[in-house]
Amino acid sequence: MTENTETQPAPQQVGVLVVTHGEFGSALLDAAQMILGRQQGLAAVSVQVTNGVDEVVVALKAGLASLETGLGVIVLTDLFGGTPTTLSLSLLKTGNLEVVAGVNLPMLLKVLQNRTQSLSELAGQAKAAGQQGIVVPGEMLRKKAAGS
Amino acid sequence: MFWVRVDNRLIHGQVVEAWVPYIGARSIIVGNDDLARDELQQEIMALAIPRAVDSAFLLIDQLAGDSRLNGPGRDATLLLFSCCLDVRRAVDKGLRLETLNVGNLHYGTGKRQLSPSVSLGADDESCLRYLQGKGVELDFRCVPNDPVPVRFT
Repeated sequence: MTENTETQPAPQQVGVLVVTHGEFGSALLDAAQMILGRQQGLAAVSVQVTNGVDEVVVALKAGLASLETGLGVIVLTDLFGGTPTTLSLSLLKTGNLEVVAGVNLPMLLKVLQNRTQSLSELAGQAKAAGQQGIVVPGEMLRKKAAGS
Repeated sequence: MFWVRVDNRLIHGQVVEAWVPYIGARSIIVGNDDLARDELQQEIMALAIPRAVDSAFLLIDQLAGDSRLNGPGRDATLLLFSCCLDVRRAVDKGLRLETLNVGNLHYGTGKRQLSPSVSLGADDESCLRYLQGKGVELDFRCVPNDPVPVRFT
């Protein structure tokens, strides 16, 4: 497990914590910053097979604390039902956070561009963007060709 | 804002996710001779553009005379080129621009690397100097929140 806190968040932005199996989360942060440029106030916690539950919870708590600026933290996890999600959910009552499971790059980009919104609104947008980001472009092209 | 960018990859993630919101672009115009003649490639590129944003693919020679790129009507427009030579051709035809954003120009052997995203061959350099001579400012940001430390002299 590595905890990879980038920098202190800029004031008045929702913090972004990506919690995943292995290094998926930190790689996702790299990919998003390749597209949007450097961002502040984000971190990844990667859960490895060798980590004990307590260890992960400690890392999650530290990540959440470092990202809190008053607007809360949105926690993006990779798989509903997986350990990163369930352990994140176990902290729901300990602070101002919302968990969205099923993170992908479209979701993360949407979140990073709307961080002054309320946590609950942002969670809704994250979910919609993540779902809308899954497309079969070939189908769209064939539909267009049939319609024209 | 009218914004002109040269980027080998034309429409892609950085452009759609970062530049379009930054500019407040309501239309994207691609100046590229190959794409202007290839409808399938146009459709593939246009798939990633948000629905609220129009797109058009024009020949380089059409740009200077296109009403969308002249006068106040060009506000909220992003004009994309894939190479410096195309920008020069358009300017020679009469396209007016104040600033050229130099985005992704891929590295290749013999090219001078200016930044992680920009490498210039001799042709690129001479085109950019030519444009500077015409009063065009160069902006070397890959994405809008990049600092602009790159100096091209």
